[in-house]
Amino acid sequence: MSYVAKQQGWVGRQFNRKEDYRLTTGKGQYFADIVVPGMLHLVFVRSKHAHARIKRIDTSAAKAIPGVVAVVTGEDVRDAIKSLPQPVVVPALPARYPTFWPLAVDKVKFHGEPVAAVVARDKYVAEDAADAVAIEYEPLPIIGDMEDALKLGSPIVHDGWENNEMFSMTFTGGATPESQAANDAEVDQLIKSADVSIKGRYRVHRCGVTPLEPRGALATWDESDGMVAWITTQRPHIDRLAMSDVLDIPTERIRVIAPRDQGGAFGVKAPFYREPILVCYMARELKRPVRWLETREEHLMSVSQERDQIHDLEIGATKEGRIVALRDRGLADNGDGCEGVYWGYLMPFLGAALLPNAYDLTKCDIKIRVACTNKAVLSPARSFGAYPTRFALERAIDRLAHRLDKDPADVRRLNLIPTLPYVTATGVNYDSGDFLKVWDYLIKTIDLTKFRAEQREAWRRGRYIGVGFGVGAELSGVASSVLVPMENQPGYGAATVRLDPRGKVQVFEGDAPGGQGHETSMAQVVAQEFGIHPNDVTVMHGDTSTTPFGSGTIGARAGSYTVSAISTACRVLKKKIARVMAHDLKIESDPDDFVFVDGYVVYTKSDNVRKTFREVVERIIMAPLNLPAGESGGLEHTSFFEADAPMICFSAHAAFVEVNSNSGQIKLTRYVTSEDVGTVINPQIVEAQVQGGVVQGISNCLFEQFIYDENGQQLTCTFENYKLATAADVPTVEVHHEAGTPCPHTPLGSRGLGEGIPGAVPGALTNAVCDALRPFGIEIDELPLRPDRVWRALKEAKRLAAAE
Amino acid sequence: MYPAVIETYDVPTSVQEALQAFAKRGNDSCFIAGGQSLMQAIKARVISPKSLIDLQRVAELNGIECNQGAVRIGAMTRYRDIAADERLDGAFQALRDAASHVGDRQVRNRGTIGGSLCWNYIAACMPPTCIGIGASLDLVSKGGKRSLLAEEFLQSPLETARRDDEIVVAVTLPTPQKYCGSAYKKWGLVTDALPVVCVCAFIDLGNDGRCQLARLAVGGLATGPRRANVGEKALIGVSATDASAISDAAETAAASTETQSDMWADAEYRKKLIGILAREVITTAFARAARGKHS
Amino acid sequence: MNKEISITINGEIFQQSVPIRMLLVDFIRDVAGLTGTHVGCTFEGVCGACTIHLDDEAVKSCLMLAVQADGRSITTIEGLAANGKLHPLQKAFNDHHALQCGFCSAGILMNMAEFTRTNRKLTEDEIRNALVGNLCRCTGYAHIVDAIKEVAGDAGSISAVHQHNLERA
Repeated sequence: MSYVAKQQGWVGRQFNRKEDYRLTTGKGQYFADIVVPGMLHLVFVRSKHAHARIKRIDTSAAKAIPGVVAVVTGEDVRDAIKSLPQPVVVPALPARYPTFWPLAVDKVKFHGEPVAAVVARDKYVAEDAADAVAIEYEPLPIIGDMEDALKLGSPIVHDGWENNEMFSMTFTGGATPESQAANDAEVDQLIKSADVSIKGRYRVHRCGVTPLEPRGALATWDESDGMVAWITTQRPHIDRLAMSDVLDIPTERIRVIAPRDQGGAFGVKAPFYREPILVCYMARELKRPVRWLETREEHLMSVSQERDQIHDLEIGATKEGRIVALRDRGLADNGDGCEGVYWGYLMPFLGAALLPNAYDLTKCDIKIRVACTNKAVLSPARSFGAYPTRFALERAIDRLAHRLDKDPADVRRLNLIPTLPYVTATGVNYDSGDFLKVWDYLIKTIDLTKFRAEQREAWRRGRYIGVGFGVGAELSGVASSVLVPMENQPGYGAATVRLDPRGKVQVFEGDAPGGQGHETSMAQVVAQEFGIHPNDVTVMHGDTSTTPFGSGTIGARAGSYTVSAISTACRVLKKKIARVMAHDLKIESDPDDFVFVDGYVVYTKSDNVRKTFREVVERIIMAPLNLPAGESGGLEHTSFFEADAPMICFSAHAAFVEVNSNSGQIKLTRYVTSEDVGTVINPQIVEAQVQGGVVQGISNCLFEQFIYDENGQQLTCTFENYKLATAADVPTVEVHHEAGTPCPHTPLGSRGLGEGIPGAVPGALTNAVCDALRPFGIEIDELPLRPDRVWRALKEAKRLAAAE
Repeated sequence: MYPAVIETYDVPTSVQEALQAFAKRGNDSCFIAGGQSLMQAIKARVISPKSLIDLQRVAELNGIECNQGAVRIGAMTRYRDIAADERLDGAFQALRDAASHVGDRQVRNRGTIGGSLCWNYIAACMPPTCIGIGASLDLVSKGGKRSLLAEEFLQSPLETARRDDEIVVAVTLPTPQKYCGSAYKKWGLVTDALPVVCVCAFIDLGNDGRCQLARLAVGGLATGPRRANVGEKALIGVSATDASAISDAAETAAASTETQSDMWADAEYRKKLIGILAREVITTAFARAARGKHS
Repeated sequence: MNKEISITINGEIFQQSVPIRMLLVDFIRDVAGLTGTHVGCTFEGVCGACTIHLDDEAVKSCLMLAVQADGRSITTIEGLAANGKLHPLQKAFNDHHALQCGFCSAGILMNMAEFTRTNRKLTEDEIRNALVGNLCRCTGYAHIVDAIKEVAGDAGSISAVHQHNLERA
């Protein structure tokens, strides 16, 4: 009779988050809560011009204000701080990398570029002094439009460049110009000879993620121990390397700590930015702690701007709706392009690579160009460049369906990848999953047939309701095979699992979460492995001195890679525990004959042969005598996990709207998703990722927009103007993951999710509006999706109809 | 982010004390009411007063009095209290419509009607509402008192007829006729956003159920809040059931209003929205007027 | 330039000479050392993360000067739990996973603690409208609404979606 576990496993089970107690009682430890005695406050003076030569900076008035310790300009630092690019923050891709320092040198290239910095004992005084810095500029012509930027004769953003093209790439047709040309010709021919072709220009505006906590950096310098820097970063290990290079500090004397609690990130805290470099530099110069805390205005001016792409996309299809070929020419507006690690262009790069999405499109010709303009550089945002490419293809598919007078749902299904694994025409590997199963579950759940009947009835009564679809095959973690060429960084998950003599567990991992609940879900994984309780497990993260090297919290790595490293390390330790126990009991056995449940280690082949987890662990750590041959004492293991294939997760979205045909106003009435997230570790956390991701996608699509005027002035630097969705503007999303399948490449079968969710939203929403307005034949291909845009389209459609 | 240096801060407990404080501190002083708009400007350093005179402890400025239908609202009365006061229903219900959707509930706990009127922000609810319902403002200075109709008081955005040394002490509304009703609605991109455009309608029905007096006030305009006189005339003689006349009047009001283009809406769509909002508030005002409620 | 003020926070009196221009949120965080109240926007006062109770009313502490709270009583998130016992909203937030990064949570809890003190049997719409002054970027608001419904909702306001999500949790 084998032991029957009393306690249910922890993976897949609802378990309240451990983080919540401190976060709901005001005991969180966010960046702004960290106080170092004697810390000085650094405030940036930012350019009021979008493009101008710096003629003169007068810091005398600022320096004269009592309490001001230092004022520095680009001239002060250009010889003291290495400029970027430095190798560790440069992708292995052929782009042009602009040279830049933390403060502008010679000229400013966007409204909000840091030009000078003031350090003072009091943060209010620092702002007074920043106001007192007088700068003389000589304005230069503004490069404000990405298409104009690439025209012959355009003014140039970067001195020394002959044009404003920072990056361009062909994603299809092999590696040589000859093979690409042949591919392009074939695609062209297929489109020309197709039964039907849909050509369109799809445009997505500038918008992004804006976590509620802005950025910050706090550095201390000690002559013997070196630099300690707290940075609101998703990637402390990468920041440490980069800071070491830029400031010439040997790596053993620099420690970067991502605060234990971070108020959201969503990608915007992943790059290696200007500001922390200057903070660290000033701390070393002044030999005093220096802190910069970003204001919301600074944040909206200089980061969180993403998407901003134009796609000229053409598809050719059979009269049944099966797409036979696709051609895309994408263009992205990358602002000044100055940003460590991502340089702004990696987002459109990946977006283009992911353009085929979950559709079986073997014949593609996809190219992008990335232009520099006088705007802030693009910074990573959830969905990482794919928000516009998803939008473009989803809209094209619906237009195809309309042309063929078919249901967009049917045309979509016809084109979904039927079996995995699959490699896209752009070379992206999709490891596993059943897209059709997930899709069919969505359609069944929303009862599309019933809705179509309701819709016809509504149209008869002059009410315009509609449904729109979008799908997303999203990266689930980023494998080394992708991350090394893309960012010169490894993709493995890494974790140290340390048992203590009381049978408790500490996990050390180098990622830096910002709300994803790692302390809980990782504790659940460990608890499941060892048969103990999640409250017996603590997770330490984000400190480069105490955690193994990891690439950080990006691309949904935690649920796919880091968690896998944790469970791998646990399993190594379990095998050791089993070997020692067998040896002690003088049993000939296989480590797999022991199970870890209910706080015991149990020999499954014989009743009552078991020991408490604690006693076995204590024996191995504290009393390492008479161990099996070749075995040492201690119970700690570090694992590095690399999946044997890059992995994905998949979701299908359906958005329901009602549109007022008089005013163009849009009401979002229902939103449903069907997800494949593999094995679910914590159901609430998984569902919450979808709620949050969809709402960000909705907010981006309907409400948010970064706007630069004709003088390059950024007009949307407060939450009054950059509007986020409030609770009253969005519904509760109906989330389903019944149709998921476990991932065969991770120990738990889990997939990482969260990062890519917003990508399917703009297609779903816009398709819903166009679907609702089918009687008018409206097609909307440009975002943001605003009532006035809809109204204008309706007006035009009515005018054309009247003219007939 | 942070205010510039503020040198003095006074907390008078009476209107007289407040006026004396202003006289003492001079023209580089600001009265602060709820601060929900003023503090934004001070923190942005758009204005940097050397002296602040805080009116939150001047008790006589707080409270709503109703006397046979006439209403006196102390200038420091919070939006929250206006929103909750059922005595305003009917003739002056537009005030409740407006007050209950300003900003958010935290703003409504602090923000005041007097503060909103004196600030006269381009995208504000109280200014056009007060014009629409025919409110007057009582102002007091060391030199005496005066009373101005809201539409005389409110000028172009951020400009009013208030002299620096004057304090608005109350918003007053005369006893309305028996069948009066008002309504207010705004449009913004997200829920309860600052209005891109907004409309207040006030309808006075004669005993025959036909409109004998109408006021339509539009806000969100670069000109400052304005009455739509042509639209008002088109409502004279109209009854509640005459939907097409109401619709026409709303369209006339919209067409005759000078609108501007900005990042939220262009001039044409603004007109479209004004027409839609006007039709809704006129219809609601008619319904409220027909109930014939006044205390 | 400076004024001597006395503010009671969570029952404790803080007396200090402060610059008149000091924001109330900075008094709370830097003078009283209570960092549970957060700053998420600049001068616009839109995000609501700084919401506290001023004499039992929910207000945004970034839109007030410390001197304006002289002689008055403030409750911050650290004072929401009474005598070590969590407020029902704090517990409900944990049960319903109503926070992810937690940066907006203090402001929401303080706003809703006031709102639900006098408003019960709330519909979903009423709850969502009351939350307009608190921006959240992580949760999409759904679980926050669920948590508030549990504490002060109208039983009939449990929507089908909420029910479905609850059952599958």
